[in-house]
Amino acid sequence: MASKGFADRLYRGEANLNIVGRRKMWFAIAGALVLIAIGSFVFRQFHLGIEFAGGTQFVIPASVGTQEEAQSAVARAVESAGATEEANIGAAQRVGNGPDATYTVRTAALSQDQASAIKSALVADLKVPAEDISDDRVSAAWGTQVTQQALLGLGIFLVLVLGYLIVRFEWRMAVAAVASLLLDLVLTAGVYSLVGFEVTPSTVIGFLTILGFSLYDVVVVFDKVQENTRGITAGASQTYSEATNLAVNQTLMRSINTGLVALLPVGGLLFIGAGLLGAGSLKDLGLVLFVGMGLGVVSSILFASPMLAALKDREPRIKSHTARVLARRSSARSGDVARGERTRTPNATPSDEVPALAGSTPRPGVRPAAKRSNTRGGGAGNRPSGGQKRR
Amino acid sequence: MHPGRQLAVLGLLFVILYALVFFGAGAKGSVTDRLQPKLGLDLVGGTQATYVASLASNGQPPPQTSMEEARKIIDQRVNALGVAEAEVVVEGNRNIVVSVAGEADDQLKNVGQAAQMRFRKVLKATGDNAAVAANPPTANPSASAVPSGSAAPKPSSSTGAKATAKPSASTGGQGGGEKAPSPSATPSAPAPAPSASAAAPAPVTADIKEQRAAIEKKVGAAAWAAAEKLKDPVDLQTDPTAGIPFKAFGTLTGPEVNALTPEMQFNVPTIGCAEQLDKRPNGAIDAIDQKVVACQSGAKMYLDAAKVIGKDIDTATPQLDQQQGQWVVSLDFTSEGQAKWTALTREAFQPAADDSCVAAAQALSTGATHCLVAVVLDKTVISAPEIQGVLTGQSQITGQFNAVTAKELADQIKYGALPVTFEPAATQSVSATLGKQQLEAGLLAAAIGMGLVAIYAFFYYRLLGTVIFLSLILSGLLTFGALVVLGRTTGFTLTLAGIAGFIVSLGVAADSFVIYFERLKDEIHEGRSARSAVPRAWVRARRTIISANTITIMAAVVLYIVSIGAVKGFAFALGLSTILDLVVVFLFRHPIMTMFANTRAFMSPRVSGLGRAMKRVSTDVKEA
Repeated sequence: MASKGFADRLYRGEANLNIVGRRKMWFAIAGALVLIAIGSFVFRQFHLGIEFAGGTQFVIPASVGTQEEAQSAVARAVESAGATEEANIGAAQRVGNGPDATYTVRTAALSQDQASAIKSALVADLKVPAEDISDDRVSAAWGTQVTQQALLGLGIFLVLVLGYLIVRFEWRMAVAAVASLLLDLVLTAGVYSLVGFEVTPSTVIGFLTILGFSLYDVVVVFDKVQENTRGITAGASQTYSEATNLAVNQTLMRSINTGLVALLPVGGLLFIGAGLLGAGSLKDLGLVLFVGMGLGVVSSILFASPMLAALKDREPRIKSHTARVLARRSSARSGDVARGERTRTPNATPSDEVPALAGSTPRPGVRPAAKRSNTRGGGAGNRPSGGQKRR
Repeated sequence: MHPGRQLAVLGLLFVILYALVFFGAGAKGSVTDRLQPKLGLDLVGGTQATYVASLASNGQPPPQTSMEEARKIIDQRVNALGVAEAEVVVEGNRNIVVSVAGEADDQLKNVGQAAQMRFRKVLKATGDNAAVAANPPTANPSASAVPSGSAAPKPSSSTGAKATAKPSASTGGQGGGEKAPSPSATPSAPAPAPSASAAAPAPVTADIKEQRAAIEKKVGAAAWAAAEKLKDPVDLQTDPTAGIPFKAFGTLTGPEVNALTPEMQFNVPTIGCAEQLDKRPNGAIDAIDQKVVACQSGAKMYLDAAKVIGKDIDTATPQLDQQQGQWVVSLDFTSEGQAKWTALTREAFQPAADDSCVAAAQALSTGATHCLVAVVLDKTVISAPEIQGVLTGQSQITGQFNAVTAKELADQIKYGALPVTFEPAATQSVSATLGKQQLEAGLLAAAIGMGLVAIYAFFYYRLLGTVIFLSLILSGLLTFGALVVLGRTTGFTLTLAGIAGFIVSLGVAADSFVIYFERLKDEIHEGRSARSAVPRAWVRARRTIISANTITIMAAVVLYIVSIGAVKGFAFALGLSTILDLVVVFLFRHPIMTMFANTRAFMSPRVSGLGRAMKRVSTDVKEA
């Protein structure tokens, strides 16, 4: 099992990827993506569904056949009338019972001419008298109020969460976490705007689901960071950034696992929803969740932690500590570099493992064997081992 | 806590929940009926009610802005009925269509009501004698009400009223769709009118003149003239046949009666409540500065101009009055409204000497010493309490309320009056928009997703995967039970979006396992035995899990409080599933793992997937 190289090291949280160290690159990528997203909001806007934008409703007598037939008839009519813009056709609905029952089918807003053309196409297609088919404007079912209130809720939530994270961690972590959440939301919305996916109530609801999920990931990583950096300034073997990077690496497997475990059901939703049924709320939900959660996992690894390290490195205490560590390193023999030191935590117990030093590049193909080597210790312990370190 | 005891608590929770599912919370019907969560509009269809806006006085449909405002208010009212996701749309330019899931019990009956709230002092009262007046015991069929041929339209209106240039554009009839003008700060005292009936001159449009002429033709000039002369209700006590001349008025329709002056409506004995006054068009008596006639349980009341209106109320809440043991709606007025309310109650509590309202109060409730103030909602008097003092604070409306009707009224008052009056049109059943196919696909997607999670868990964590799997099943069962109970008690409906939300939350629930097991791996890395690693990993993982879930619950609570409509339902589902996840984590996973740790197999790499971590631990492990 242990010979799997990277996968195995990943499994044990020893992948040693230098994530935090490349933070400039991540920020540049994030910045570019945000700009693209905002540009897309301005120039492409969003493709709003019937529930938001209102539309046109066709009423067809139920004598024409089944619900599906009514719907496909409207679809054909829309096509034949050459409704240029893609008129999203909603699901048909049967209204009433008995001989007077009708089907209503909603489409995106159409001009009067288009509506008339579709109506005559329907009359010809279904062979019903023209007076039995009516078309009518329908308003948005989702008033602007719903969206406004949802956004207000979002704002209040962000403030509260910021407060909570400040109490639970510290303000820098809170800022980094919320920044990463905002990045997720902006990029998810950007994907929607850019690709032109339809925005329906289901989309908005899915979008709000991302809130909790995205922060969930970040909190787990930061929890680890907090643990690894407790009392870091007391030692002089690791900079804050390196400790953060170690935490990211240690939780990498967990993040990937989380992402997979959460995305599996969503993927099921998306592929079943889109594959079996075509349009519908399943697809809408699956899509927004898939995009948002995927981004959430990535941003918690590549954005939140580097952001935190960037914020922390401005803190005077950490700054001087970093300088001290680097000075010590440059004077030390290179063999020492390979041995990170982690600080003692209150309930640390002696153990003989030597933690990996973040930032030291592992030799490719190195076998993390049971033999304790000097080049790499087993740094998978989430617990800083304060014990007998062999110096 | 001992693991066995935690599992016992969980077991107890299960028993209670499923006892509620099967026997409590209004369970009825067969076993499958009792296991049925309330499904949403998109899955099972429901009921669609259409409300048609009355045309404005100029014959035009109401403006779009008013329709949109009405849509919002109706939306709020419908959603106040529960966490059900209703759909409210404006269709064409006159219809508002409300769709709710499931059977429309009488839920939708009142959401289209204009809910124009008026507080009016009761000036006079009389019995509803329409039946008796038209057919007295000694009925003489050949009444003097022989239609005389003279159909010359006379200038009607005994008050000699002219169309006054009052700011109030409301016609007080014809279902005028204008917004009630906000009242001026000074109570509009009735202008001294030439006639003794002292009616505030109502604006008489040409339209009304026409109607009155038609009515005069219908009832006969003699009856019309007699009715015009009445200063007081015809006294049937002394002369049982006194109502005979007015017999023709008994044939008038609601809208026709509405065209008469309030005095006529009140004084003519053959104009009844149920068949005529209550059938006047919606908005018939919304006019603020006019006296009107309204009914309450068999009594006709002649009411003063509205000194306090719905807009003066800040908020309304249903309350159970402990002393009386009955439901009331308590009102908090706005600061401006409070001043008006105090003035109105003072007027009723200390009426002027020549005020007829005391007599009216005594007629309506024996032993009354002060005047009554009628609380009028749209066309009906919902309550006419005697004012027991000058009220300077919160007040209550009493009436024949139960918990449901009190809440309904409070919601109507709270969300304000509709700017447009509506006539309810047909209520029809509607089919599901998505139907079984989508529901089945959703459940299939859920099954596939959960299957994938389970496979992954087994692959990755070996036997520990069973713990994940069992927990997910438990979460699912708890969630389902909660859905059924909530569907019956709070009307929480499950839409496809909700199902998807729950699917996602199960994935997230599985995630808290990953946190825990990764911790466990780390502990074992460090060379601990399973027995000591499990509690340590638990303590550390618990903190993370609680923090992460706190955030989710926070999101759910904020969204639930702030948002409206579908988002509210979603927030509810999110909070519910998160809390249930925590329950399962604390009461199931932890004790199970503790028990697990005591078995031998737990540490074998084949079984738990933790062994790989063990291999690396060297022989010189020091146990803590």
